[in-house]
Amino acid sequence: MKKPWVLIRRLSQCLFLVFFVYVLWSTTFPLHGKISPEILFQIDPLVMFFTSLSERVLLSGVSISMGFLLLSLILGRFFCGWICPLGTMSDWMASLNSRKKILNDETNRWIRKVKYLSLGIVAIFAILGIQIAWVFDPIVIAARFVSLNVIPAVTWTVEKLFIFSIQNFNLHHSFVYDAYRALKQSFLGIKIYYFSNALVILLYILLIFAGALIFSRLWCRVLCPLGAIFALVSKRSLLERQTQECAQCQICQKRCRMGAIHNDASYQKSECILCMDCVYDCPGGKTRFGWQDRKTAEVSLTTVKQPAGKGITRKEFLFLFFTSLVSLAAGKINSKNKLTGNQRKVIRPPGALTEAEFVDRCIRCGNCMKVCPTNGLQPVMMESGAEGIWTPKLVPEIGYCEYACTMCGQVCPTGAIGKLSLPTKQNTKIGIAVVNHATCYTWAYHKNCLVCEEHCPVSDKAIKVIEEVYNGHKLLKPQVDPNLCIGCGICQNVCPQRPMRAIQVRPF
Amino acid sequence: MNQFFYRLENILKEQISRRTFLKIILSGLLILISQNAFLKWVFAKQKPSGPRTKREVKTPYDLVAIEGKDPYQNTVRAVEALGGMSQFVRKGDIVVVKPNMAWDRTPEQAANTEPQVVAALVALAYQAGAKRVNVFDVACNDEKMVYERSGIRKAALEKGALVYFPNHWDIVKARFPYKSPMENWPILRDAIDCDVFINVPVVKHHRLATLTLSMKNLMGVCSGVRGLMHIDIGEKLVDLTDYIKPELTVMDATRVLLRNGPSGGNVEDVAVLNKVFASTDYVLADAYGAALMKQDPMSISYIRIATERNLGLSDLSKANIFEKKV
Repeated sequence: MKKPWVLIRRLSQCLFLVFFVYVLWSTTFPLHGKISPEILFQIDPLVMFFTSLSERVLLSGVSISMGFLLLSLILGRFFCGWICPLGTMSDWMASLNSRKKILNDETNRWIRKVKYLSLGIVAIFAILGIQIAWVFDPIVIAARFVSLNVIPAVTWTVEKLFIFSIQNFNLHHSFVYDAYRALKQSFLGIKIYYFSNALVILLYILLIFAGALIFSRLWCRVLCPLGAIFALVSKRSLLERQTQECAQCQICQKRCRMGAIHNDASYQKSECILCMDCVYDCPGGKTRFGWQDRKTAEVSLTTVKQPAGKGITRKEFLFLFFTSLVSLAAGKINSKNKLTGNQRKVIRPPGALTEAEFVDRCIRCGNCMKVCPTNGLQPVMMESGAEGIWTPKLVPEIGYCEYACTMCGQVCPTGAIGKLSLPTKQNTKIGIAVVNHATCYTWAYHKNCLVCEEHCPVSDKAIKVIEEVYNGHKLLKPQVDPNLCIGCGICQNVCPQRPMRAIQVRPF
Repeated sequence: MNQFFYRLENILKEQISRRTFLKIILSGLLILISQNAFLKWVFAKQKPSGPRTKREVKTPYDLVAIEGKDPYQNTVRAVEALGGMSQFVRKGDIVVVKPNMAWDRTPEQAANTEPQVVAALVALAYQAGAKRVNVFDVACNDEKMVYERSGIRKAALEKGALVYFPNHWDIVKARFPYKSPMENWPILRDAIDCDVFINVPVVKHHRLATLTLSMKNLMGVCSGVRGLMHIDIGEKLVDLTDYIKPELTVMDATRVLLRNGPSGGNVEDVAVLNKVFASTDYVLADAYGAALMKQDPMSISYIRIATERNLGLSDLSKANIFEKKV
């Protein structure tokens, strides 16, 4: 191989992407003995710092992500180029278009400033108590994409291929069917997951990919606040790019995926993600990466130093500050709905914080929805307000809350859903079931049904039976005991009445 | 891309003849019509199927009930007293053992069949020369958790059974020789496509059906909206049982749920009877189970209807019953 370092970098990217997908894929029952998906977010300083800051708590992940920051102090912005799953996917996307735009120095200088603005917005919101890091965080975006789009799509396709071949080539008694059954117990999972509004989530990441087609790593260069954090840290990093006797051919400047190299072959250290392309692009082999020593340090510092007035100006900062304040105020007014107060508009998973806190703390990573064994947790669109987009809600028609399961709390990286013990969870009310007397088979049509009572998991049944005699035969009418009902929604899930179930759970 | 637009423009500019226009319309219609049929043909082949044929077996007793501490030995003794498993299972047979594993509960909570009873039947079937023994049930809670917590998966796997999750696309549509409310109901193909069907229910309380016995346990081979079966449950269960016609019914009364059935969950509601009884006559087995729970068999709708239709014997005084306490 001609380019050993590029090869190693690509290997590292692939390995981390495979690890990332593997961890998310194995986020399913039983959780013990597997790598916790929390780890994917605990290495992410953006989410950890700003969630801790806005919620005034100290998340355990802060220390782990601090380790990555310290490493960046030495190595530079290696996270973006070697680890970040969104960066890897963007690189693949960018390789599809061979005629991407090459920006000049002037444009590069102002577009890279935008990401500091997005970091600033996240910071100001966090200081004032609102967490919006999830909107821009690349790991969250990638995790949501993998959990809610990729895994359902892949499992669906594999499943349908098996069904097609088994049914149409009559393989019911062959080893293919046994292989399919074995796959269902491990890789595929029993249920093929479905997520409402998954298309919108897909659209979000498709926009990022489309950006990567215009010029390489558009998201990382322009918008990514996590990249901005690493850029700030790695401004004085020890590992640096060194050029000697440069012929000024400007090949490296044209091919740099981050636009980090200036016209005069000097470079912006905070933009370099150590992709190592320029080492091998250089026709004379004059470029290399090495540890900074004291002598060259002064030289490189002078070349790296930006012309005066090219940072964020006071005017820009004030603009940022006031736009953030105004949008914040608008958001706050919207969420302080006087009519409902802290009342939930949708059913939240058991152990969720109070509504306002929950919406704030949740980073929309999709772990809880991925792990939910019944597929009942679904992303919300607008039902809980604009600030609650993509937070989880329980949709009992699709899946109920399993009585002996606490997995959504176990995988939540920020503690928006608390880690409950099983007895606590089994006494946690998330809603209350209400029988609709106008459509219930027994109440309205005088036919014994009682499926809701049969499935009720509370050991002293929360659905009580009223016995009545109607037309000479005994009628058993279901009635909910509001003190016992925990709102798990299994009654609504199994109610045979269509299209509206005759027993429905209201958020508590 | 430019070429594509160029060609598209050319097509749009051309005059379309009436013939071409009709062709386009017709092909479009054909695609629309065939689409649904095609998808169904590819992914949801649902062949209609008549009832299973039962393998008739002559047994020395109508029903055998064994009481003892060890459920595994109880089951072995009960099947032996009926004449041994080799009467039912022949070499190379595909056997279905259908336990009641519907609820996410431990064996102590008595909502599911005792794992050792299932394990004993699997072992006996293999000893009699079965090619494979399938163990499955359509669970009411999450399948993976139910299979794990009920302990049946582990116990059956140890004896070499194939424990798997039922596939709801792999079904047949039930057809009956008589008029039935269960006509066209989707039923798992695996339940029909076997040589021997062994039904292994557990005796427990059920608010609507009074008791969950062998006929109620067969709801676990049905797909579709199973809640609808609760409406006129007696008739539907009898038709379903007549459709499946299990060769052998081994009823587990090691622990029985007296209240808050069928899901249970409270150990205080459980009574320990340490009994296992087996019969080829599912009506008789149900009647015995009802008597065990101190209920009049004729007060239970499905036993009454099955007796009226002469599907089996429900009068315990007329039956040849062998009872033994170990």
